[in-house]
Amino acid sequence: MSYTLAIDTSAGTSVSLHQGGKLIAEVEYLENMKHAERIGSSIAEVLKVAGVEANRVGAVVVGRGPAPFTGLRIGIAAGMMFAEGSGAKLFGVVSLDAIAKAALEGTAADGSSGQPLAALVSAETPLLVTADARRSEVYWALYSGLTSNGVAICIEGPGVIKPAALEAMLQERNIQVQRTSLPIAARQLTALFEAQLGDGSANTDVTALYLREADATVPRDLREAGKKVSG
Amino acid sequence: MSAAAIRLAQEADLDNIMTLEHECFATDAWSRGNMHLELMAHHTTYAVIYEGERLIAYAGLSKVPGSDQSDIQTIAVAPAARGRGLGKALMLHLIAEARKQHANDMFLEVRADNPVAQALYLGLGFEHIDTRKNYYQPDGIDAWVMRLQFAKASVGREPIVLGIESSCDETGVGIVRGNTLLANVISSSMDEHARFGGVVPEIAARAHLEALQPTLREALRQANLSLQDIDAIAVTNGPGLGGALMVGIGAAKALAVSLNKPIYAVNHLVGHVGVDILERGKLETPTIALLVSGGHTSLLLVRDLLTDVELLGETIDDAAGEAFDKVARVLGLKYPGGPEIDRAAASGNPKAIRFPRGLTQPKDMQKHRYDFSFSGLKTAVARWVEVAEAKGEPFSVANVAASFREAVVDVLVTKAVNACVAHGVPRLLLGGGVVANARLREVAEQRCAEHGIELRIPAFNLCTDNGAMIATLGAQLIMAGRQPSSLNFGSESTLPVTTVQSL
Repeated sequence: MSYTLAIDTSAGTSVSLHQGGKLIAEVEYLENMKHAERIGSSIAEVLKVAGVEANRVGAVVVGRGPAPFTGLRIGIAAGMMFAEGSGAKLFGVVSLDAIAKAALEGTAADGSSGQPLAALVSAETPLLVTADARRSEVYWALYSGLTSNGVAICIEGPGVIKPAALEAMLQERNIQVQRTSLPIAARQLTALFEAQLGDGSANTDVTALYLREADATVPRDLREAGKKVSG
Repeated sequence: MSAAAIRLAQEADLDNIMTLEHECFATDAWSRGNMHLELMAHHTTYAVIYEGERLIAYAGLSKVPGSDQSDIQTIAVAPAARGRGLGKALMLHLIAEARKQHANDMFLEVRADNPVAQALYLGLGFEHIDTRKNYYQPDGIDAWVMRLQFAKASVGREPIVLGIESSCDETGVGIVRGNTLLANVISSSMDEHARFGGVVPEIAARAHLEALQPTLREALRQANLSLQDIDAIAVTNGPGLGGALMVGIGAAKALAVSLNKPIYAVNHLVGHVGVDILERGKLETPTIALLVSGGHTSLLLVRDLLTDVELLGETIDDAAGEAFDKVARVLGLKYPGGPEIDRAAASGNPKAIRFPRGLTQPKDMQKHRYDFSFSGLKTAVARWVEVAEAKGEPFSVANVAASFREAVVDVLVTKAVNACVAHGVPRLLLGGGVVANARLREVAEQRCAEHGIELRIPAFNLCTDNGAMIATLGAQLIMAGRQPSSLNFGSESTLPVTTVQSL
């Protein structure tokens, strides 16, 4: 049976290898930096631990974020190129969707189990997933539950917002929510991907979800800007 | 001793070979009859090196058709001719021959008491895989059995290297075979930066991610190769924009792991110098190199591409390309400024306004002899325009553009030519996107001719940021026997030119 390689760099550097949904190996750096340094050896490590050649990987699943810019891109670039080199198929998963599934099923990033929130969640009382977006903002999305195959059903988002504004919005619309901000791990991407295969909703879109414009402002008057820049 | 002096042995060489055989192997020389059979056998290849009339080295290869294995039968170098690399030259010749005959491995035996020969073979990539007791008689010396697996080594063959460049706003993928260019595809995000009047790092990094896959596929298509044909990956890890570099690094590492091929992290600026190999087959050294782009203005003294690159000077503020962009804005011209100013300057008088030449005063010669500064020049142009506008005097944009361009070009070429003269180097190599500037090329040609300096300007798509130059530098490292980089290197925004490869 072929293997699935999952890569998520929306927070730390997280790489895992699965066979038929079963976790074979994983490498996890929680620290939110040094993605470029770690991505290559992390992929090499999971293959080595499993004793698997790259060409036996049939699918690569990358986390599309939403996430701060720099790290996110590295994982997507690596996933894309690993698929090119190994001949594997490339899929993308919204990282928040993977967190939602884990929370609804009560499986944490480290594999430990907690209270499954699925029974408490509905379209009326959705699950609010948040993740650190830096700059005093959070990424967020709302989920109404799971499909029969276990795919988290997103009913709103993903977006990026100040926590106070998010609370104000929920209050204004009078929405009661269950909450989670579980950390993301590559293994959760695979869990979601397997469920999506069951639903027929696996997606080959790997576009990065930045949710913010690039940090750049168009000078109002290019001529003025040119004159004022003096060093 | 160059490899060209090696030729295949003929029957007529037998007498000379037997003389050297006895000189080298006093106690266990082969018989003349055996040697004759070896030379004539259809499955052997013997190579010889002569110095004048005298045979000074020979070696033999055995490769039976249909077998994957090859064996080094013997190798001998005259005692007086040792230490000149003749043994290595013969080995490289026979390795190339064995590859040509589709061998997968090469085996040899070497005396356990011959560390010099062992070091040669280890250096070529052979491994010590077995020891045969008392193999050499009558001396009773053990033999090391050594093996070279061609799939794991590129020695004896020109490696096919894929290079990835993402240090600024160009996503480049290039493929070379040794010194030969196979593909060079560049995807630029320049247009996306236009409305900001300069490169925006985040926009450049986002564009790299989007351009990566199509650029790679197009390069493979141009080279008519699949990824399985690639021997090694090379990637720029600096200097450049951190976020942009990281996209290329993440991509290159994953590609290398997926193909189980080595990776080489190389210096972008040294890549600009090495690219000349693709047009000339080699880099003439020593050479002065002037690299001018939107991100760099550097003057290098290159005595050896891989081991001796010295930074003579660089800009202490803006890069020359940046100055073009900013002055273009002042003059109401578009981005990128270089071609716009070139166009506007065509009808202008370069001597109309005497703009300042940064860091060219006698007082600057001590500390900044080969450094550049364009910030003052840019401000001077802005002030000049401001004053003219305040007075309500109409002025010629063409004259301002031509005079500004002249000041930039004058400083660049003067300092580069001075460096050539001061270091006694009769060569100047230009690189970087600003080389597209017509006046820069013109003045460089003129001044170099005056000083008897040979000027090299590679084709424009090799001058601007590109993957082919990165692949070329990777190939040079491989052919020089350098070890690959680890998978742990990161981006180095200010990587010095002295670090050609990051391990």
